[in-house]
Amino acid sequence: MAVTIQYANADTPVPGPAWSRLRDDERLQLVKSTVGGKLGAAGDIFIFGEAKMDGQIILAFHEPVPADKRGTLLLDLESFLKDSIDPGLVVWLEPLGDRNSLRNLRGIEVKA
Amino acid sequence: MSVAVQTREGALILDSHKLSYHMDRVEAWEAGEHIAPVSVDMALTRACGAMCSFCYAMMQESQARSSVSVPRALNLLDDFAAVGIRSVSLVSDGESTLSNAYVPFIQHAAKLGIDVGNATNGWEWEPEKIEQVLPHLTWVRFTVAAGRPESYADIMYKGPEHTKVFDRAIEHIRYAVELKRRKSLPVTLGIQMVLMPSLREEIIPFAQLGLDLGVDYAVIKHCSDDEQHTLGIDYSQYEGLHDLLVQAESMSNERTKVIVKWSKIKDGDKPSYKRFYGPQFLLQISGSGLVAPSGMFFNARYSKLHIGNFTEERFIDIWKSERYWRAMDYLASPAFDAQTMMGTLPIQHYVSVALDNHAKAIERIQPGIGEKPLHVNFL
Repeated sequence: MAVTIQYANADTPVPGPAWSRLRDDERLQLVKSTVGGKLGAAGDIFIFGEAKMDGQIILAFHEPVPADKRGTLLLDLESFLKDSIDPGLVVWLEPLGDRNSLRNLRGIEVKA
Repeated sequence: MSVAVQTREGALILDSHKLSYHMDRVEAWEAGEHIAPVSVDMALTRACGAMCSFCYAMMQESQARSSVSVPRALNLLDDFAAVGIRSVSLVSDGESTLSNAYVPFIQHAAKLGIDVGNATNGWEWEPEKIEQVLPHLTWVRFTVAAGRPESYADIMYKGPEHTKVFDRAIEHIRYAVELKRRKSLPVTLGIQMVLMPSLREEIIPFAQLGLDLGVDYAVIKHCSDDEQHTLGIDYSQYEGLHDLLVQAESMSNERTKVIVKWSKIKDGDKPSYKRFYGPQFLLQISGSGLVAPSGMFFNARYSKLHIGNFTEERFIDIWKSERYWRAMDYLASPAFDAQTMMGTLPIQHYVSVALDNHAKAIERIQPGIGEKPLHVNFL
């Protein structure tokens, strides 16, 4: 049975003080070491870029991952980080800008 | 929610939802069952010859693009029919009229009993193509950024001097209006302006153009933005357009209704819901072939919510997969906050508000009574 309506009013967890009080580089190092400790070399598919105070972790893949694989990989990773470090952590990939050359004349830049 | 607008052909609901006419899915969803979407919004390509300043597709680049072949497109429809999807809107993140699959897709959907609607700039929608598809379409909505040729060309193309794109679109819209009249086709024709707050001078000329064209409606809607405010939309400025929008609506006549999507404009950039239930009922597919719960998640940034690609595997297998339901469950869980983790006012907004109110017992969704509205299978 699917998750349905029981969480309609629930608050989304935010990072606790143990995470928030770390410096940017300390948070990033914590994420890297936690993932490395669990996944070993398998964790090398991820390139961690930022670990923000608000819980957002920005990363990239070393190589493109097919659409049927990347969702599972990233949701597994997020779940692991929530369990291991802080339930307020969320995972996002680096955004991609528009590849349409005509629309790019507008000069819109997708923000991270 | 505002009531339906009465047209010569029936009740037209553009500023609300039609879940009341799909209570089988609502009840199954509430019981925790895995439901098929009522509707799918998709594109047959990511390509587009326009460069609209308000285009959300600029923020929807996924990791890889795939080409949608005719056989893949037809297989997709077969899978839609098999799982119980009732309608397809060709909108999403590309100009589907540019795809080789466009005409066969619409004709095949008609054979399967799946309703199809299409939003287009109309530039490559020539009479021959119109003749082939219009009898099979439930609605066509033309993106018309402004009522004046120079403004239109400036907003949708390279600059105000390129008015031939306006002329071309208007010629094709007029052809469709005439074809509908001549053949008494049961298709609704409308034009849509995506209103950015800076375009206040374009509101009345747009409404007047709708009347002049003789389309069934001219609708004005908000502009969506992502949560990083990439387009820089200031939602507080919409309030200052209120009187002009009321004036535009008052221009409605017997044939053409001018409609403002007040609900979306008033809801601004913060939804009332935290959980995002809408995609279970109204799924989106990118012109890249990517299946993700919503167009809000097409960009590579949201790769954790990417489910599959229908050009690489059958849609029915994607829908049945654990991946599909994991993504949907994530959006219904406390891990996801629609107020901070996605762009503003998605296509699933009305549905999501209604489902959230239903879940919280603020306002339960009631079965529809009386004559069904137009386009009942498009939520």
